[in-house]
Amino acid sequence: MIAPASNRSLASASLIEPKALMTIRSLELRAKAVVEGFWNGSHRSPYHGFSVEFTEYRQYTPGDDLRYLDWKVFARSDRYFIKKFEDETNLRCQLVVDQSQSMNYGSLSYTKAHYAATLAATLAYFLHLQGDAVGLLTFDEAVRDFMPARHRADHLRQIMITLEKPAGGKTTDLVAPLERVAQLVRKRGLVVVVSDFLAPLEKLERSLLTLAASGQELAVFQVLDPTELTLQFDQPMLFKDIESDREIYIDPSTARASYVEKIKAHSAALKAVCQKLGATHYQLMSDQPLELALFEFLQERMRRGRAQTRNRS
Amino acid sequence: MNFLAPLFLLGGIAIAAPIIFHLIRRTTREHRVFSSLMFLLPTPPRLTRRSRLENWLLLLLRCLALGLLALGFARPFLKQSSPNDPPGGPAKRIVVLLDVSASMRRAGLFADARAQAESTIRKAGPGDQISVFTYDRVAQPVLSFGEWNGVAFSERIALATSRLAGLQPGWGGTNLGAALITAAEALADSENDKTVGTRQIVLISDLQNGSRVEALQAYEWPKGIELVAEPLKTRNPTNAGLQLLADTADGDRQAATNVRVRVSNAADSTREAFKIGWIKAVGGELVGTPVETYVPPGQTRVISVPVADANGATMIGLRGDDEDFDNTVFVIPPVQQKVTIAYFGSENAEDIQQPLFFLKRALPDTPRLAIAVKAQAAGAVLAPDVMASALFIVTDLLPANQAALLREQALAGKTILFVAKNAAAAAALGPLLGLDNLAAEEVKPPSYAMLGEIDFQHPLFSPFNDPRYSDFTKIHFWKYRRLDPAAIPGARMLAKFDRGDPALLEVPVGKGRVLVLASGWNPEDSQFAVSSKFVPMLFSILELGGGLAAPVGQRMVGDPLPFPTERNETLAVRTPDGKTVQPPAESTVFSATLQPGIYRVENAGRSQEFAVNLDSAETRTTPLPLEELERLGVPLARKKAVVAATTPAQDALLQGGAAESRQKLWRWFIIATLFVLLGESALAGWTARKPALSAQTGTP
Repeated sequence: MIAPASNRSLASASLIEPKALMTIRSLELRAKAVVEGFWNGSHRSPYHGFSVEFTEYRQYTPGDDLRYLDWKVFARSDRYFIKKFEDETNLRCQLVVDQSQSMNYGSLSYTKAHYAATLAATLAYFLHLQGDAVGLLTFDEAVRDFMPARHRADHLRQIMITLEKPAGGKTTDLVAPLERVAQLVRKRGLVVVVSDFLAPLEKLERSLLTLAASGQELAVFQVLDPTELTLQFDQPMLFKDIESDREIYIDPSTARASYVEKIKAHSAALKAVCQKLGATHYQLMSDQPLELALFEFLQERMRRGRAQTRNRS
Repeated sequence: MNFLAPLFLLGGIAIAAPIIFHLIRRTTREHRVFSSLMFLLPTPPRLTRRSRLENWLLLLLRCLALGLLALGFARPFLKQSSPNDPPGGPAKRIVVLLDVSASMRRAGLFADARAQAESTIRKAGPGDQISVFTYDRVAQPVLSFGEWNGVAFSERIALATSRLAGLQPGWGGTNLGAALITAAEALADSENDKTVGTRQIVLISDLQNGSRVEALQAYEWPKGIELVAEPLKTRNPTNAGLQLLADTADGDRQAATNVRVRVSNAADSTREAFKIGWIKAVGGELVGTPVETYVPPGQTRVISVPVADANGATMIGLRGDDEDFDNTVFVIPPVQQKVTIAYFGSENAEDIQQPLFFLKRALPDTPRLAIAVKAQAAGAVLAPDVMASALFIVTDLLPANQAALLREQALAGKTILFVAKNAAAAAALGPLLGLDNLAAEEVKPPSYAMLGEIDFQHPLFSPFNDPRYSDFTKIHFWKYRRLDPAAIPGARMLAKFDRGDPALLEVPVGKGRVLVLASGWNPEDSQFAVSSKFVPMLFSILELGGGLAAPVGQRMVGDPLPFPTERNETLAVRTPDGKTVQPPAESTVFSATLQPGIYRVENAGRSQEFAVNLDSAETRTTPLPLEELERLGVPLARKKAVVAATTPAQDALLQGGAAESRQKLWRWFIIATLFVLLGESALAGWTARKPALSAQTGTP
């Protein structure tokens, strides 16, 4: 979970309360509001393209593209070296947003789906400002909308419109959408999955593995309502599953301990899977300011970027 | 506080229900939509901790309502024991009325009755009072309340049992009505005694249909006395009975040759064919040719049994019946009594104008009675049989010797009827009365004279002492002889003429008497001889002198037997069991006819036999419906209440029931419950409204 803002360097910054943020009708404005005030710098691209900045030489190995062979070095030293450049703007980010019914739950004035959409919009807007290409895939039990990653102004608007569609699916099936992402997103990039992940983890692990194996970098945002973590209800009631309409009688005071234990175990398992796959796992409570998520995300990106740089040097 | 139905207190366990309901967290029909139930398991409704009871007051009210309801249903009562109360509740006063009539002689019936009586007595508590009466024709105390109270509680039952042990059924008829009245009177004495609770008459009887209950019709049953009937069940339903039919004293010539008996068969009998015949001893063989008869159940037949078959037997028996207590009747063969009347007068017996003519014709012979009128010529020597006559009638002047003889007879107790035929003959009265110069005066009223004033209290006229028979005005007297009653000492005027002159005088002479009739019954003097009063008057005069034996009639067990008027010291009664009883000198009847049979009254060498039979009503052994008693105003106790009271615990329950029905505390509990429920409803309503109100006002 993302740590409270007070411990962060953003402590002094004025964070927007999600409750207040959600009162803004337009998703785009919301995203803007979050991103506003953020440092407007670029970040390192993990991709080595052929544009501007040279990064390193590497000895030629058979099979390398001969276009990148540095003939001048060959001429000087009679050795084959491959020139490598740092790509500036070519982060391709594919947002995968869960729009199943379970996301329609919210104990606050807004649902998890709203929160997740805002989060996705914020990321999209931020990345767009950075000049990165952003794509979107929404899903419930199947893929609903797919927009490949592009860097165009109208594309961002399209993403916003798609995100604003109400969540309407029934069940949460992570497997099919993620496999579909693996099929659709050929180009390596960043895949950001926003979901509550309230589904059995066994298949999820396999599909995340497929995605990771295809060379995609993974970031997993688990969005949960605060009550979903604590089951903080007073009265015993008939609890109705939002997806299956199943009803059972629950006395929260009795069921709380076991529930909290189970959901924590589930989150921990998800986190373990992510770690295993090298994915970043963020758990977001829907009452947490989105700036924290953005900040955490960027920090993690920068950390990774530096690590990659170190690895390279 | 005690409870009549303590089991209802278990209903108080229901108090647990509101407590549990208060502890159970309220099950709601509210739904909460939740994202996923994959981590949730259904929770059963569970009890909250005690500390989580929220509405203490509501819980208290609900528990109180249930508790009060349970208490109310348990029917509580307060045991009110005043210092006067004996331990064990209010005392009962019971009269045990035991039937000892002849019908109780049926097989096993009396043993059952005695056992029932003993059982009733054993149930008595220390404070109870019991009196025991037996009854047949009359109720007799066997154990009085005084005797019961006179001994210690521990000895009472033994005393009563010993009294019961000596009892046997008698032969009397059943007068249930009179017995119930006697018992009720015995109980009614304690009406104002506050310590007495229930007053009961426990009737132990076969309650046969022949029980007489008419006496109850005219009796107002005392309040607070109830009857507990314990009808006994007979083992043999079959019972046929025999009753002697009374034959008329005159006219029925057949009576001399046949004795008529009625055979009645009980409605629930199983037999129909019977034999009837003379027997020489009770239970003995039938003598001669028995008469066979067929009497369906519930019907009667009249059978003639020929006297010729008797051969000296005095009983008629019935055979073919299960119960033989009513199968014998005692019959005295009809005997004609011979009575002589000596008539002293000079008339010709055939002279239609003379009194003798009418006298002879007024007294015809009957099978029971033959009256001979012997006319004596003046101065004739009087034969001994004439002197033994029952009545002497004098109408003429008598020679001095005859007058003296007659006066001796009168002094010895005989009756002389002197008829003053004319003023001259009236002089003959003087020697009879022992008076001189007794003169009479001939009176001839202008039209006729009537009897104006009659002493109906006198035995002579007492048979006429009834408005239907007391009209003597139709007898016209054309003439009569005026006697001066003042001249005759001791004369009692039995009848006067309308002019005030004596018509009939009674003059006591020694033990006997002289009756003086101031006018004759010959047509010249009066219409007396042709009036309806003539013959009864003659019989009255005969009876007055003791000349007629008592009428035979039907005599039941318990009926008194008359003694002859001229009883002397040797009078004795021989009872059927061979005993000789000397009745007390002052008694005029023999009342101790305790069993059926032939009673012989012996007096001065003469004896008279009386057949005393069983009361014919005893034969009707079909049970009397108890509703009949209720109809007559006798309140019947619920039998269950008495029979069930076999143990002290049940007895206490009964007393508790009485106390509870008096106090009716349950009503207050129910009212209190209603109030508590009202309060509970109000409180619950207020509690339910409170959150809604606070939500409306915005307060948390």
